[in-house]
Amino acid sequence: MKIKIRKRYLFFVLAFTSAIISAISSGIDTVAGDLIENYWILSISCFILALIVSFSCSAFFSIPFNGKSIGSMFLDPSFRHIRLIRKKEVFYHILAGLGNAITTIGYFALFYDKDLGRSPSVILPFSQIVILYLVIAESITDKDTPTLVDIQSSVIVTFGAILGSISLTGTISVSALVIVFLVINPGSMLFSFYQRKLKMMKINERPNDAINIRLWNVIFALSFTLLITLIFDIVNNTTNIIDGFIASVQFFGWMFTMAFGTFFSYVLYIRALGIGKASIAQAVRSSVIIFSIPVTLVLSYFGLADPFPTDPILLLIKIIGMIIMMLGISTFALALTKAYVFIKMEPGYPIEGTMKHLWKIKGVNRVAALAGPYDFIIKIHTRTLVKGYERILRKVQEIPGIKEYRWQSVLKEWEDI
Amino acid sequence: MINAYILLNMKPGNSDKAIEEMRKIEDIAKISIVAGEYDIVVRAQVKSLDRLLKVTDNIQMINGVIKTTTQIIEKEITA
Repeated sequence: MKIKIRKRYLFFVLAFTSAIISAISSGIDTVAGDLIENYWILSISCFILALIVSFSCSAFFSIPFNGKSIGSMFLDPSFRHIRLIRKKEVFYHILAGLGNAITTIGYFALFYDKDLGRSPSVILPFSQIVILYLVIAESITDKDTPTLVDIQSSVIVTFGAILGSISLTGTISVSALVIVFLVINPGSMLFSFYQRKLKMMKINERPNDAINIRLWNVIFALSFTLLITLIFDIVNNTTNIIDGFIASVQFFGWMFTMAFGTFFSYVLYIRALGIGKASIAQAVRSSVIIFSIPVTLVLSYFGLADPFPTDPILLLIKIIGMIIMMLGISTFALALTKAYVFIKMEPGYPIEGTMKHLWKIKGVNRVAALAGPYDFIIKIHTRTLVKGYERILRKVQEIPGIKEYRWQSVLKEWEDI
Repeated sequence: MINAYILLNMKPGNSDKAIEEMRKIEDIAKISIVAGEYDIVVRAQVKSLDRLLKVTDNIQMINGVIKTTTQIIEKEITA
């Protein structure tokens, strides 16, 4: 028997759990960064292990149990078994894989930037600026234009994340800023945006599953990392690829643990992407900064990361940053209004044409043509009721042939995920 | 797969218990409490019209449901 739960709760549980696991993995990243000579080698060995872990986990989760796969019981109800990707998925996988490769190489490059110091709670916040990139990308491509609330919350979360990283031990170098703004965040944007597109796809009439998306993302990301490193090796006459394979064997334990955590963190994140917008999922996941603090404390206790600041002013700023961030995240979460609009038509207007008109309205998430007393039901997602009226209902009224419409605000919702 | 919206009118005061019952029905994909002409909008996803009949039957058996209006989806565009 399936039990329906509140979609919003599941979204937050997934994104927060993903953040906690990610904070632990990023702690291990720091240790690995200490053991391995440079970021090219680290990236290669990271993806090799990611492939081994993703394949083994996906194979394990494919084992049937009581007519279902183990993965569908514990990780993603849409998962059946490992499968080959479909033709329609290839393009999105190429872009998401490229994004993952670029962002990983860039992220590891920051580990070796002496000005930043080695601490996950310092490096992670920089990758959160991607939220702003995602808001911009969504405003260009998505049906739901970001509202003032979206932009405000994104800015609050981003600045909160930056304040949360105040334990910087030195000045930020220009090269680090270039890496953050031109490498990590654009890469991360591609990664999140196209993984969401993949998750929203229907495969055999069922929602696409997060486990196969993760497995194939790793395959594509490893291919791109090998290609980029190969070019670097040829140009600079280095042997990073071979060293990467050697490092995977040499530091198997650490790299395996890191890849194991990353697998679960991303599978949960991809599931969250299938529920909410990429920018919001990323914003919730940016709580990784908070969870990375205990990890940093543990690591610095063992001398594996730079010591945590004890200056009261720095700590105060850090705490303020985190409070701001959490406020931003909760604003994102709470300020969403959903509604159904039931529409009756005059006779003599083609259904297809009206559907297209309705679909063009921003904020309309679903258009269903019906047999029954109403001709259409549309589902609306909007940040404010004012916007719902100004941008949506007025546009509905302008469509020729609409005889009658009824707005039904959704107060609470349960769904099978 | 056949998708349908089932629009419900409820007796005042029975919604919480009725929703608890509905959440157990297998072929219901989504339940929304709404403010407006109807009280609850249910989205059903069934393999056949027979199953849809079963779902509406099950809903009608729930205490507090006054009236159901079923709307079968003929075509749909989603984000």
